[in-house]
Amino acid sequence: MRLYLHWPFCRSRCHYCDFVTRVAGAGVQRSYLRALLREMEMRACQSSKRGLRSVYLGGGTPSTLSGEEVGELLRRACGLFGRVGEPEVSVEVNPGTWECRDFLLAGKAGVNRVSIGIQSMDDTCLRLLGRSHDAGRGERAVRDAVRAGIPSVSVDLLCGLPVEFGHRPRLDLERVLELEPHHVSIYTLTLSARNRMGRAVAAGELHLPDEDRVAECYLQLSEMLRVAGYQHYEISNFCKPGHACRHNQAYWRREEYLGLGAGAHSFLSGRRYRNTESLLIYRRRLEDGRWPAVEMEPVEGESEYFERVMLGMRTARGIPRRLLRGKEDRLRELQAHGLIADEGGRVRLTEPGMLLCNAVIVELLGA
Amino acid sequence: MERDRIRNFCIIAHIDHGKSTLADRFLEITDTVPRQKMADQYLDRMDLERERGITIKAQAVRMDYRLPGGETYRLNLIDTPGHVDFSYEVSRSLAACEGAVLLVDASQGVEAQTVGNAYLAVEAGLSIIPVVNKIDLPAADFEGTAMELADLLGVDTTEVMGVSAKTGEGVEALLRKVIATVPPPGGDSRLPLRALVFDSSYDVYRGVVAFIRVVEGRVSRGSRVRFMATGAEAEVDEVGYFSPDMISCQTLEAGEVGYIITGIKEVSQIKVGDTVTGRDRPALEPLPGYKEPKPVVFAGIFPVDSDDFQDLEDALGKLRLNDASLTYTRENSKALGFGFRCGFLGLLHMEIVQERLEREYGLDLVVTAPNVVYEVLLRNGETVYVHNPSDMPDMGTVREVREPYVQLTVLVPPDHVGGVLELLKERRGIFQDMVYLSGRRVEVRCRLPLAEMVMDFYDLLKSRSRGYASLDYEHIGFLPGDLVKLDILINGEPVDAFSSIVERSRAHEYGKRITRRLRELIPRQLFDVPVQAAVGSRVVARETIKARRKDVLAKCYGGDVTRKRKLLEKQKEGKKRMKMVGKVEIPQEAFINALRIGREEDGR
Repeated sequence: MRLYLHWPFCRSRCHYCDFVTRVAGAGVQRSYLRALLREMEMRACQSSKRGLRSVYLGGGTPSTLSGEEVGELLRRACGLFGRVGEPEVSVEVNPGTWECRDFLLAGKAGVNRVSIGIQSMDDTCLRLLGRSHDAGRGERAVRDAVRAGIPSVSVDLLCGLPVEFGHRPRLDLERVLELEPHHVSIYTLTLSARNRMGRAVAAGELHLPDEDRVAECYLQLSEMLRVAGYQHYEISNFCKPGHACRHNQAYWRREEYLGLGAGAHSFLSGRRYRNTESLLIYRRRLEDGRWPAVEMEPVEGESEYFERVMLGMRTARGIPRRLLRGKEDRLRELQAHGLIADEGGRVRLTEPGMLLCNAVIVELLGA
Repeated sequence: MERDRIRNFCIIAHIDHGKSTLADRFLEITDTVPRQKMADQYLDRMDLERERGITIKAQAVRMDYRLPGGETYRLNLIDTPGHVDFSYEVSRSLAACEGAVLLVDASQGVEAQTVGNAYLAVEAGLSIIPVVNKIDLPAADFEGTAMELADLLGVDTTEVMGVSAKTGEGVEALLRKVIATVPPPGGDSRLPLRALVFDSSYDVYRGVVAFIRVVEGRVSRGSRVRFMATGAEAEVDEVGYFSPDMISCQTLEAGEVGYIITGIKEVSQIKVGDTVTGRDRPALEPLPGYKEPKPVVFAGIFPVDSDDFQDLEDALGKLRLNDASLTYTRENSKALGFGFRCGFLGLLHMEIVQERLEREYGLDLVVTAPNVVYEVLLRNGETVYVHNPSDMPDMGTVREVREPYVQLTVLVPPDHVGGVLELLKERRGIFQDMVYLSGRRVEVRCRLPLAEMVMDFYDLLKSRSRGYASLDYEHIGFLPGDLVKLDILINGEPVDAFSSIVERSRAHEYGKRITRRLRELIPRQLFDVPVQAAVGSRVVARETIKARRKDVLAKCYGGDVTRKRKLLEKQKEGKKRMKMVGKVEIPQEAFINALRIGREEDGR
């Protein structure tokens, strides 16, 4: 069993954020935690599959919980589901939330992977993004995690910020590499009308760099990471050998997972579930002893195939060639454009191909 | 009604000069339509006409008017279309009248089309009553406008009347003037029937309704008639007149205006300008002036969704039932699939047809940029007509390409003559002469290739004269030109829908513009796409659509796979709406907009 726990609270909302999260008082957080534990119990009773193989605590900002509280939550989960060997346990941590002590306590409770949302090492950019930390705090969070003996430390970075920010992603990465994290994720900024920066871009107050510049930047960062000894194992993810995130890999391999919390997703017995995103409805449902899932979709046939290709192609391993039988012409063409590699019975995206992942998938799956 | 109490007349006016409003006042004053039932502009019946404020189909209304003295006169008001695209219809309407009210807006003055139609009326021997409308407006210049009208017709300014169709001022006096000046119709009711079809409409249940002016003889219910040009024969089911609704009657006699319904279902059998005669006692000669309307502007019309092809064909068939001047033939474009190449009388006609297809039949259409018909003389002596640039024969086999020209008249205030002359030169106009009319307006005459008009000429003329210039034109046939076919190659493959025929010396410049435009209209693909303009095998312009670099959803948040899949499925669907040309996806808009260059580039 793989378990995802969603903690939908942040200290403040970043200007580019689209996720299910809010800034709420301690009371709301406590009652949410009660509901989350309740869902965990209900699911544990019902589930026949035992033994956690990985746990991922994401958000929001789960590190608004203290190291102790996270440890407690984890102990409850392991108590209810049991575990298989030593599961990978990841927690997303925002700089400025956890002290060295929190990392230590969490580590003691079994947290063996932290993903630190540094985003940038440039104070101006961080301020403009609406992050509540500065570069110094980001750096300290990584050092604290390492000093606390967390065996796998990951760092998130952003690229593709508005040109007005004067962002220099290569400098960011250079400074991050000095900290020697085990894992680096690089995300390009994705905006929508629901967030403040998205609206500023729509209004012409901010301008996103054109796709050529973003592509160029991404390829440079990827090359820097390769030279520094990182493997590019998924579109946005790079790791030192042995440090790939096993929980996330399960998503791309279409393994089952149970997601708990408001807005969490699960994939069980060929069906995908989505919990309500409303905290209120989430709490009420659980108080009434009802499931908080509001959407269920069996994934079969064409959709299942679509998912296999779509998810598999995100990874460096790619997909077995036999999945694309009958599409040889298209494969050849995409190969000629340098977007895919076709070797050893597997098809995967090249570095430039990863940047065009959507277009390539649509091309492969198109009528 | 005795014939000397009948008056057949029409109103000649430029768009927006108040023709329909004046007609409304006539209907009111004569009690033909009670005031409370009056929808504004009663005579313009089609929605489209009312919206655009123009008259497409002519109407004919019978009004009985009692003079204060006691005598009652029968006034037949024949409405004329107001646009040059329909000048043949105008000429037929004029042929059904003895008089014309020449109506000019006091704030706008005489416009080129008014001049054109006034000349048509003079040539048709009509007695003309010059009238200045909108004298109630603060901006009205009655004196100046009256002077222009007097100049135009060679009459004294005292003969020019002033009215306000809006307030009704002077309208009654105008009706009396019509009775006093327009001669009653001639013609002998005892002669064999000769009636002019000056328009027709189509009724779903009853077939074609022919609007006629009886010139000689009489036509009654049950008469057996023959249409002399088409040879169609039928028995008359119904005879009647418009008041303004259709009112049936026993007989129409020489001098009268009305309609006949014969049960004939196809408009192609009853053509405007044809002569109706008796089958058993036919006239020897038809009335003069019949012409086959010839389409001069062509465009491809394709369904956006190829499954709608049959619906489009049905819709065109139905439209043609009451628009005999619309022509269409099946066309198969490599880029756009199956559709029709349609012929129109002009640009307005084209827009109207497109709008009716979309509005009345709910079709989504791709309409290619319009082009004209070319007369191509081959080396083997044969002459072929090319309706679609992509059908142009190989230039090696061509001796000469001729293109249609128009005789163009532009009226413009002296201040803006320079800009207009410059435009005419840019657009390959052959200057003829320039005459100052009344010091307020200059008349410029030149010959212009119709192809230049079809593009965006009218918009440019308006923008370069700050809206003051007006134009009129008539088709004068084909003249040879140094013309070549310009092909557009996308990723090395010629795309027929983008071909055009241009003057050799402009091929380079034009090619540059269109390739640049296509670079903007076609989205980036997974690979570099060259866009070339070529004359024969010689590339005259080239642009490259750079390959796309980034198209990726970055974060797979918390296992939300469904949302990701749906986004990609949507992207996959979006791809279906593109037209695949070779390996390149081209959006529909590109086909519509690519050849419309010029509009955006003339910002002055």
